[in-house]
Amino acid sequence: MKYIESHSSSTEITPRPAVGFFRSKAALRLLLAIVILAALVIIRDNELVGSLGSRAQTFVTIFLSIFIEAVPFLLAGSIVSGLLEVYVNSETIYRFVPRHPLAAALVGGGMGLIFPVCECGVVPVTRRLYLKGLPISMGIAFMLAAPVINPVVLASTYAAFGWGPIFYSRIILSFLIASVIGFVFHFAKPEDVLRSDQLAAIDHHQCHPHEHTHDHPHESGLNRFWNALSIGGDDFFDMGRYLIIGSMLAAAMQTLVPQPVLLALGAGSATSILAMMTLAFVLSVCSTVDSFLALAFVNSFPPAAILAFLVFGPMVDIKSSLMFLGVFKRRVVLYLILLPFMATLMITVYLNLNMSW
Amino acid sequence: MTTSWKAIILIVMGLFLFSRILSGTLLFYINERFLWLTVLAALGLILVGISYRYRTEHDHDHDGHHHDHDGHSHGQLSWMGLLLIASPMVLGLAIPPKPLGAAAMTNRDISLESLTSAAAPEGGAVLSKPKTEKNILDWIIDFRQTSDPAALAGEEVKLVGFVYRDDRFAEDSFMVSRFVVSCCAADAAPLGLVVHWPDSPTLADDQWVEVTGVLEPGEFGGEQLPLVKAASVTSTDVPDQPYLYPF
Repeated sequence: MKYIESHSSSTEITPRPAVGFFRSKAALRLLLAIVILAALVIIRDNELVGSLGSRAQTFVTIFLSIFIEAVPFLLAGSIVSGLLEVYVNSETIYRFVPRHPLAAALVGGGMGLIFPVCECGVVPVTRRLYLKGLPISMGIAFMLAAPVINPVVLASTYAAFGWGPIFYSRIILSFLIASVIGFVFHFAKPEDVLRSDQLAAIDHHQCHPHEHTHDHPHESGLNRFWNALSIGGDDFFDMGRYLIIGSMLAAAMQTLVPQPVLLALGAGSATSILAMMTLAFVLSVCSTVDSFLALAFVNSFPPAAILAFLVFGPMVDIKSSLMFLGVFKRRVVLYLILLPFMATLMITVYLNLNMSW
Repeated sequence: MTTSWKAIILIVMGLFLFSRILSGTLLFYINERFLWLTVLAALGLILVGISYRYRTEHDHDHDGHHHDHDGHSHGQLSWMGLLLIASPMVLGLAIPPKPLGAAAMTNRDISLESLTSAAAPEGGAVLSKPKTEKNILDWIIDFRQTSDPAALAGEEVKLVGFVYRDDRFAEDSFMVSRFVVSCCAADAAPLGLVVHWPDSPTLADDQWVEVTGVLEPGEFGGEQLPLVKAASVTSTDVPDQPYLYPF
């Protein structure tokens, strides 16, 4: 705590360090990337000036559709996060964390059953749980698994596919991959995993735990409720900008990359899986409804490719990986994309070659 | 200062969603069955916006020392952040709402494979529909169940969709098309039936039309599928539900 105080007083004198993502060069580069993508769309079509307007129109419609579809879930996750902040203290969380790291990762993988949040809502909740002292490994397992291992998504998968190999393999694979990746992060130091401002906020929490949970004991229940909501609002802003950039990128990809190129890969045992995983990444649809979307591909793709879509998509897609940037260091976000990618790819290719469905 | 901006943006976002719901244009973006989620979200956004007014827990510098590093969770939002959060509303208001149309088709596959795979497998309920009420999706499901273009020959159809053409279409033909949306416009899959009509060149791309005619066995892009021999093609308004829902 002493260290933090001296640290913060020194930053008061020197110019504010560019800790925030939006004050960093990465933000500029990302913006540049979006501008270039947009420029490509224009250049690609410049022989048809008339279609330029309708291209922009298509982009806006897809962007807004992803955003509007995600807002209820992001807001729900943010409000849950605000309620956690006000009503749950670190000691309670601490009591629920298993001592054994593997057990912690497994519990993290199953925690979505208690916090029914999908891929947009899970990020603010995970971030808040980290503030409350949740181990890194458990949080990552939770964050990757919860979009599938939660009552709503289980119900929608069941509705789409019924009781069958797709249904239970989706659950088992999501749970295992998420827990194993979570466990791997048990061996990393928090300061290598979390963003520096997130770490600082955790330290801050630990300095003044009472300030947050029992801040003003004389306060009425209604006041605490309003506080919870407004903290949720702050989270909504923190995560919303990543969601918006992610939705824009996804919409740009969709207006730029022709789907036939992707779907033509439907035949090969590995390429079909790669195609479906890429599609899941690019489409960025919410995990609560992706089963119904996957139904559309059952005739043109092998079951293992459908499974890859259903396992990888909820863990990682354009918008969720952008949102990861709000919690984790950039290098860790890369791992959080690559590890589920490799794991899903290897398992489903194996299934494709060795299973008859 | 920042808090009031946040409150304003949240409330405006809620009102923006309500305006889209009330004008019916929300269905340009998402499947009708998720409408209630948007209603809840709009109410929630406004409630959270209001909560800033009653917030008692302010900045954390009241205990003497300033925690600059806590910038992200309770701190100031940069102008760029504010602008970014406002961008869905800015774009949504600057560009008039319009459902996906022919322009969005160019990036998607238009072949029998894609046409039939966009239709969900179950079609039991569809068969009981009166024939004149069957839409493009219903007919394609029917076709998929028989997979014999001749089986549907002679059926009278009345279809609403937008006009789509590319270089594979002959002078006298176009595709009457719709998008099938499971979740939101991001997953829209194109669907359509090829229409033969002598006056096809008079139609503009992307124009919404109502086609009446009869089905006959035909071929498109080397694949056997039913075509519509049109008796009349009249221009029409964009339907209230521009997309078709597979479930």
